[in-house]
Parts: sequence; structure tokens; C-alpha cells
Amino acid sequence: MTVTRIDLATRVEIEDFYYREAELLDERRWEEWLDLFAPELEYFAPLRVTRKSPASDIVEELGHFDDTKASLGLRVKRLRTDVAWAEDPPSHTRRLITNLRAEPAGDGTVTVRTNMLLYRSRGDMGAFDLIVGERQDLLRRGETGDEAASADGWLIAKRRIIIDQSSLGTKNLGVLL
Amino acid sequence: MAMTISESKVYSVYMSRYDVQGRLELAERIRKTVHPERGEIPLFVYSDPDVYALELERLFGQTWLFVAHLSEIPNPGSFVVRAMGEESVIVGRGDDTVVRVFLNACRHRGMKLACEDFGETNMWRCPYHGFTYGSKGDFLGTFMGAPFERAAYPRGLDRAALHLVEARTEVYKGMVFATWAKEGPSLEEFLGNVRWYLDLIIGRAEMEVVGTPERWVVPTNWRLPSENFTADAYHTATAHSFLSRLGMVQGADFGRDGYHVDPGGGHGLGVGVHFDGESYFPPELRGEYAEHLSEAQLTTLARLKNMHGNVFPNMSFLIPNFIEVEGRRVSGAMIRVWQPAGPNRTQVWSWHLVERDAPDWWKKLGRRMYTQTFSSSGMFDQDDTENWEAQTRVSDAALYRSDDFVLHYGMGLDLAPLPAGTFPGPGNVYDGKFSEAAGRTYYRVWLDHVLQEKKR
Repeated sequence: MTVTRIDLATRVEIEDFYYREAELLDERRWEEWLDLFAPELEYFAPLRVTRKSPASDIVEELGHFDDTKASLGLRVKRLRTDVAWAEDPPSHTRRLITNLRAEPAGDGTVTVRTNMLLYRSRGDMGAFDLIVGERQDLLRRGETGDEAASADGWLIAKRRIIIDQSSLGTKNLGVLL
Repeated sequence: MAMTISESKVYSVYMSRYDVQGRLELAERIRKTVHPERGEIPLFVYSDPDVYALELERLFGQTWLFVAHLSEIPNPGSFVVRAMGEESVIVGRGDDTVVRVFLNACRHRGMKLACEDFGETNMWRCPYHGFTYGSKGDFLGTFMGAPFERAAYPRGLDRAALHLVEARTEVYKGMVFATWAKEGPSLEEFLGNVRWYLDLIIGRAEMEVVGTPERWVVPTNWRLPSENFTADAYHTATAHSFLSRLGMVQGADFGRDGYHVDPGGGHGLGVGVHFDGESYFPPELRGEYAEHLSEAQLTTLARLKNMHGNVFPNMSFLIPNFIEVEGRRVSGAMIRVWQPAGPNRTQVWSWHLVERDAPDWWKKLGRRMYTQTFSSSGMFDQDDTENWEAQTRVSDAALYRSDDFVLHYGMGLDLAPLPAGTFPGPGNVYDGKFSEAAGRTYYRVWLDHVLQEKKR
């Protein structure tokens, strides 16, 4: 079996892209984060369920997120008001993005799967939630005409987040994935 | 010297259900402090573990509870796993197509029969010792077969005694409800006046559940969100004020225009109306609505911009406020169950439903609208969870106060309902959504349940 690999330089470039993305989210620089997405973005987090094998445990018909770039923009605008109670005061968050698997997907695009561990702590008593899952992204190079191509040239055209819980253990998804 | 009621609370957190003295003291404290008709509710009832124990027995063990929508179990053998109170139940359609609800527990050792969320099967086989049950709950035998079973039980098994524990089950407009009460009101009697309003959301057309219910766990008592949907239109202007900040709604009257309804029975709702003359619902569906609804219901639907409500004790329903998504005005149909999971923990079950024969745009944008506004990531929903968690934490502490902290449930106390015939729907209807009348009735019905001595 031949495995098509991306070259090392591209891989490093993509890793840097994800580290920067995590930094923007953890530092709540949401407007800069939005710039990493292509205008045609599909952003979806399907539901998970508990099923007996070999049935699929992913429900495609409904999601925890089902967004476009415009609706993510609305979420960001809301977060910037002084009445976004669920995240103001904000959670302490730290996103660990690992296990990067990148494959060329034609026309200069790359599919990238990464594991995400999102630590979220709110309030006192040392409590925290973990939101863990896999991101499945389609990256493409920014083009002239794209509203805001990112500095290092990559844009996320599709994001699918597979969260590893049938029943979420965090009280809301006020944080972005 | 005898302890006062509140002193005794300190020692009775882990009160056994057989501690008769503790129960009497708790009943006395509730009787002395909960005054729904005066709009006085003490904070401690929000999360008291002893109150919660009473609720599991006398509320969740007695009333009708929503468990599933028929579209989730379309075929003979389809089943979903749900909960009534904290008890796991199987909601299944038998091979005779009849819908039944069973305690999800093997009669042999109490092991769960169904360990998945849903599926299709012609029998349930316990994964522990292989005791096997048909889709009508009848005991069929053990997995190993008759010779093996005879060796283990030479005198035979009493098959009738091994029938699954079955709840009384009835269906209203596709909504499956079950109760452990062997006697008592029928489902239609229990729902009463709220049926007229429920029809607007789940009876207006052939509805279906999209995907599966979404679930998440919130550190709140189950009653706080239930009450919120029953009688709290007032919180919108503060808790969800991002709407007006971002110009998504116009006017300072947001949240007030419409009617507050106390239909009786502990149910409650608010109907938000607009004055645009033309219905917000899709023209493609109006023919089907007309077949399903009365003239009076159709008139109400044509003016409707949102509707929130709760079926006692913990099933909420919502037609979300119409908003524009991708250039079109959309709403939907949402059902919630606030599943108790301890005095200060609730599992949210959230169903998004849509008209089965709706145009594609309404289905697609309605689904997006649900997810962006009222799912676990919903821009409305997330702020509510913040409030309910903090209230629950404050209530935990209030348990041990010697003077009770009394909450204010007095909004609309001096308002009279509209004269009969002013509004087309039944029940006590108040002009404007700012009233807590149904919230007070909720606590009256709640009180009658938790204080009743169990009939034996």
C-alpha cells in the first residue's frame, strides 16, 4: 500500500497553522481566528450515540454545531457584547492539538485530521471540563478574492468535529472548537 | 430539647426513605415555607437532597412522563432507551406494532437489558445470564436453551412472574408518555388545556424527530429549567439581551408582546405574537396545518412569533423566536426533557422536530437555526445554563440557613386573566407575557404531589 505523504516542509507549515489557531482561540482573539476560514466554510459537529457494533455511533442528521462562516461571525459578535454571560467572565481554556495526519486531497488541498483536547475551567473550586475529539479539516490555499487569506496561506474550507461523548459533560459549548 | 426543623436538616442529608421522623420534619418545613398562592417559594427546595428523594418517589413515580416521539420507533421491533425519573426504560414497538414502555431491568438480577441508545430487535436478551424477553415483554426462556434451562431449574420457571415490569403507556399526537401509576387520570385528562397549545407545535402537521435527541449534562436542579419554560418570559430581556444588542430583534417590547397562559395542572406557557398581518410559517405548509388544526388554532398560529412552555413536571416545548438564517425567516419545533440525575445535576434531552413534508429550505435552515440558537452550543441556551448552575449552588448553601430565604414569585399576582372569549385558546390567559401565574400553579401542583402520603 502506498501512503501519499505531504512533504516535510508543508507538514511543519500545517502544524504551525494549528498551533497558531489554538493560540488565537485560547487568547480569545476570535476575529483573527475567523480569518483562518474560507468563505465557503462548512463547520459541523455531529452527535454521537451509544450503539452496538457494527452500527455507526455518529448521527449525521443533527449536530452540536452546524455553522457557516457568517454564523460563526455572529457567535463572535455576541461574545464581544458585555452580555455574553456563559463566557464572561471567560473560561480558562487550553487546546492541545496533536496526532496530526495530513494527506493531499487534490487541487492543492489537504485533508488534516488532528486530535483535540480542550481543557476548560470556570469559576472556583478547581473544577474543569474536558472536551475531547477529532477534527477533520479540509485546508486549501488562500486565493485572491478570499476576504482574508491567513498570513501563512492556508484556509480551513471544511471542519468536522467528532466529539467523544454521547452525552456532553460540559454544561454548554460556549467555547469554539 | 427538640431540634428545630432546620437544625435537623444538617443531620439528615443522607436521610433514608424509611426515616419516618425525618420525613415528617421535611414535610412540615415544606408546608410552613412553600406558599405558591402568595408567590413565596423558599430557596432550599431548589436542591435539597431530601426534597429530591420525595420527588423521585411521589412525582416521577406517579405522573405522566414524556419518553419518546413515535417517529423514533417507526417499525415493529424499533426501540429507544429513555429514563423516567432516574430509572432506565425501554420504549419499544412490539412485533404487534403496539408501543410499550418497560423498566430496563432483567427480572433475574436487575441487569440492564438494552445497553445501547436505540436499535431494532425482536427480543431483549440479558447480557449477564441470557434471560430473554419478547417485544411484548414476555419471558421467552434462557439463552442456553431448554435442556440447559431444565438442568438449572428442574422444577421450571414461573414465566408469568418473569414478565418485564411495564409502565402504563399512552400516546398524544405522536408523543409517547408513560407513568408508573396504575390508576389515575388518562394522558388526555392529565394534559387537559395544554393540549390546545401543544397542537401548535407537535400537532400542526405530521412531525418527525431529526436525527436523535442531543444530550448534555448541566450542574443544575431539574426544576429550574422546567420553571423557566413554564413561566419566565421576563428573563429574556436580560439573559438574552445580546439579541437586541446585535439588532436581531426590534423594539423594547421584545419578550412581552403576547400572552401568558396558565392552563391548569401545573403546565404553563407563553405565546409571543407579532403584528405583521402575514403568517411567519412557510406558505408551503399552510394546507397541511389547515387539515390538522382548528380555525381558532390557525388564527393563533398566523400571529405567532414564538411559544415556550412546559408540561408538568419536566417536559418543555418551544417554537423558537423566528430569526433570519441565510436570508429567510425560520423557526422550528423543540422538545426538552430535564432529566433528573441527582439534586444538583440534570441531563438535558433536546429533540428537534420538523414537518415531515416540509420544503427542503425549511428543513435545512430550521436545523441550523436549532443548532445555532438552542442546542448545547446555542446562543440562547448557554447563558441559561450559567444561571441555573449558580442558583443551584446558592441553594445548596441555603439548605442550612436557620431562617429560610424566600424567593419572589409574585409577578402578575394582582392581574386578572382576560375575560373568556378574548383569546381563542383555553385556560387562564393573561395579556402580555410578563406573569408568573403558571409558575405559582406549578408549585401548587408540585406541593400537592410531594406532600401526599403515598397511597398503598
